[in-house]
Amino acid sequence: MKKSLSIFLSVLIIFSIILTGCTKEAPSGTTGEETGNRETANESINTFRAQMTFNGSSTLAPVISAIATDFIEEYTTWDKVDPSFPAENISIYVSAGGSGAGVKAVLEETADFGMLAREIKDEENQKIGDPKEFKLGIDALTVSINPENPLLKIKDDLSTEEVKKIFSGEYKYWDEVESSLPHREIVVVIRDLGGGAHEVFQKSVMGDTEVREDAIQAPSMGALVTKVIENKDAIGYASFGMVNQNIGKLIPLKVDGVEATKENIVSGSYKISRPLIAVKKGELTPEQQAFMDVLTSEKGSAIIEKMGYVPVK
Amino acid sequence: MYKLLDKVFGIVIKLLALFSLLLLAFIVLFIFKESVVFFKEVPVLNFITGRRWNPLKSPNDLSIFNIILGTLYVSVVAIIIALPIGVGSGILLSTYIKGKWKIVIRGIIDILAGIPSVVYGFIGLLVIVKFFENTLDFSTGESVLAGGILLSAMVLPYIISTCQETMDKVYEEHSLSSKALGISKTYMVRKIVVPESRKSIIAATILALGRAMGETMAVMMVIGNAPIAPRLLGRAQTIPSLIALEMGMAEVGSLHYHALFASGLVLMIMLLIINIILYYIKKGIGI
Repeated sequence: MKKSLSIFLSVLIIFSIILTGCTKEAPSGTTGEETGNRETANESINTFRAQMTFNGSSTLAPVISAIATDFIEEYTTWDKVDPSFPAENISIYVSAGGSGAGVKAVLEETADFGMLAREIKDEENQKIGDPKEFKLGIDALTVSINPENPLLKIKDDLSTEEVKKIFSGEYKYWDEVESSLPHREIVVVIRDLGGGAHEVFQKSVMGDTEVREDAIQAPSMGALVTKVIENKDAIGYASFGMVNQNIGKLIPLKVDGVEATKENIVSGSYKISRPLIAVKKGELTPEQQAFMDVLTSEKGSAIIEKMGYVPVK
Repeated sequence: MYKLLDKVFGIVIKLLALFSLLLLAFIVLFIFKESVVFFKEVPVLNFITGRRWNPLKSPNDLSIFNIILGTLYVSVVAIIIALPIGVGSGILLSTYIKGKWKIVIRGIIDILAGIPSVVYGFIGLLVIVKFFENTLDFSTGESVLAGGILLSAMVLPYIISTCQETMDKVYEEHSLSSKALGISKTYMVRKIVVPESRKSIIAATILALGRAMGETMAVMMVIGNAPIAPRLLGRAQTIPSLIALEMGMAEVGSLHYHALFASGLVLMIMLLIINIILYYIKKGIGI
């Protein structure tokens, strides 16, 4: 009889799970989409939520994560941030999936904030409807090579034209760039063609020219940098932050004589740069505003700078 | 009382089975629905036979012939490497090793199947790719061959276990009579065990091919991800790695996004065909 009881209980559990799943689903299905959205928006302002989620750009994710960790360590519960908040534990979740995923998460409301390492496109703006945009910092893409590359002994500067020729495959061997270099194949490392980083590079350097088809597409910025660090013949557009985290292991080249420094990136004279943005659909709740204030504060900027990126202020 | 229980139990089991079937149906339907949007813009034939993949350009530049070739090439290389090793291990385990050691070795091989693919990818990146670059002096180690070697290690457990099952049976059946006839073990393996289990070797090959084609992470890390016509020592791209690489960045609802679903559909159909072949082979040998 014991056996039959346990079977009966397990069946009960399964059905109750299925049924509760259904009831949760029902309300959003019955209300119209328009009113449903407005309702949830109002709800999120009225009811306090101790949880906050970020999703998107893998460049920005570690930065937000570092600031969030700091924030949680400092305050632990919300009432210490602002006495009017309830004494609930602060939890901020950050997950990386690319800038596109960030927009998607905001659109589908699976995350409170989307993180982007590029400008928001107009179509995306329209789809979100009422986007709130927070520019947190700037990242630049540096044309970097391995420190053992003999090119460095000759010069530390490439013109846009040369970069274009290298990445488009017109120069296939290093001795075509400079005749004194050894006859070794140039290994071009890029990020995926549809991604945010490549889009920035394409726009600011390549123009209408296409990147060579057999370029290695690294699955992440970290993988790209690792490839350049480990392969003597590699060249790739490593992010400024990554270069600063790996000083000496890969060497950023000047482009058209302009070095990728903080000043040049902020002033815009170093042209291969991209903004780091957090996006929110609709109004911010007070607690979200509180965290956003920290992100944009001096302290937040200091962490952004420590991670190797250029803060907006 | 027990009759009632039987009935309830039967119903529950049926419901659960139905649930998993529905799950599969929803996945297929969803991928199909998302792909149709793309196929309205780009004809299926163009998509499959075109050679260029560049999501930044016009919709006609989204086609995956090279990528399909890459997927098949890497998997076939993996099978070619893994098959002799796998069949050899199968013979070893079923005929030469008995008792405790057999269990131990099988256990170790089964562990191979349980290692997460990202760990394989990491080893591939640090060992195989580095070896190609440093020792063999390639310009880059990322290649179809590197992916093939890595995948061969990953599909090995599947080949070994499928082969061994049949070989065990065949050996048990004939060992007494061949011992009575005084035939040497090698002769028996060559003339009876291997020919008798050839259908299961084919089944193992196809099963492993299916697994290899769907492998994502490990392959993405060592193959270079360039959508060009694959060469053994050159870079290539596979459909799973394409999807994994670009899905995060693709703008939702864009043609690029739907094209990735479409390539997923193509992969699914390829795997479906392989599984159907496997089904008929299995039916033929009556496992």
